[in-house]
Amino acid sequence: MSDAHDREVIIIPCSGIGKAFGSVGREAAYVVTEELRPGCTSTVCLSLLTLGDEEIRRRVREHPTITIDGCPTACARVNVEQAGANPAATFRVFDVFRRHKELKVRRVSDIGEAGEAMARILAEEIADKVDELRRDKE
Amino acid sequence: MPNLPERKVGLIACSGEDLPEGTVSREAALRVLERLRPGRTVTLCLPLFLAGEERERAFARFFPTIAIDGCDKRCAARATEMYSARPAVSLVVSELRELLSLDPPKRVRGPDEAREVLALATAEALAGQVDNLLNRVPAASSDAEARGAGTRADGGAPDALEETEAVCSCASDIPVQTVEVDGRTLELVALPAVFALLHEEGKHPSDDGTVEALLDQVRIYNLVPPESEAALGRALLNAYEAFWARTATIIGEE
Repeated sequence: MSDAHDREVIIIPCSGIGKAFGSVGREAAYVVTEELRPGCTSTVCLSLLTLGDEEIRRRVREHPTITIDGCPTACARVNVEQAGANPAATFRVFDVFRRHKELKVRRVSDIGEAGEAMARILAEEIADKVDELRRDKE
Repeated sequence: MPNLPERKVGLIACSGEDLPEGTVSREAALRVLERLRPGRTVTLCLPLFLAGEERERAFARFFPTIAIDGCDKRCAARATEMYSARPAVSLVVSELRELLSLDPPKRVRGPDEAREVLALATAEALAGQVDNLLNRVPAASSDAEARGAGTRADGGAPDALEETEAVCSCASDIPVQTVEVDGRTLELVALPAVFALLHEEGKHPSDDGTVEALLDQVRIYNLVPPESEAALGRALLNAYEAFWARTATIIGEE
């Protein structure tokens, strides 16, 4: 197994389909895994984790995991904890909104420019956390 | 009938973040919720089955549900059945794509023409299933057609014209209450509404036929095994007596 794989950080957004902040969280996860920290981060289907898939459960237990939640129910965090893992870090879209109330997310199916800006702010914070977690593992 | 949320079709998308077909499942569901069948459909985030409460797990017992899965692992269908109830329809995007000989989607986000085409086709298939489940004359076959035609096929009002925002049904109005039956805790969908209905009708707990009336209403929304009826009837009557006493106190205080 490569070093990069050993130090891989898994980013798990909440899969929220009915709330705009859920869409922002998912976009932030993709910004991290595809643009900011490709190669050392990945995501998994949260629905597989919900279902108890053994392979996914093993991955979230063996790798540092960052959860992103769009609403107070915190599905991503709760599902990771139910899988027997402790998220290395948890992020909430609402916390970004509290600091940037000028950013009004348009809607769940189209978060708009403000939503994308919010996702990018969140993604930058997550990327910093990824670097920190990978340094800790070295 | 008890005063309950309107009967709609529940859409549960796998939302699989790891594959383009998962994105299709979510995009198609949102298209149906917002544009093709607004007002006839509701949704719930799949992981809420585990993270949510009883009312979330009651979702598929109350709404006839369509599970939309990106791949043949069928997470949405299996999780819905595991935590709530068997979905009425299970649709797998990858299978639909093969059936329609469409190109595979390539990206989980951003522009992808193949993904867009597949999402549109999936949404049309979903809308048809929604109509089947509600036994209704279809709304226009697509939102574009709806805008052009301006009326439904049955001549009715164009109910697919208005675009609404999809919202999750977490913390929805599906009322759930638990009762103790022979030492077991049983969770019953719609029970508070059933109690309210019988109370409104003036059915006192001591009246003849109250147990039968309770069981008749509870059976509409819950599976009641025949061997459990007697014990459940007693438990329902006890809970209804408590409800009646509470209501009398509240009315008295007013």
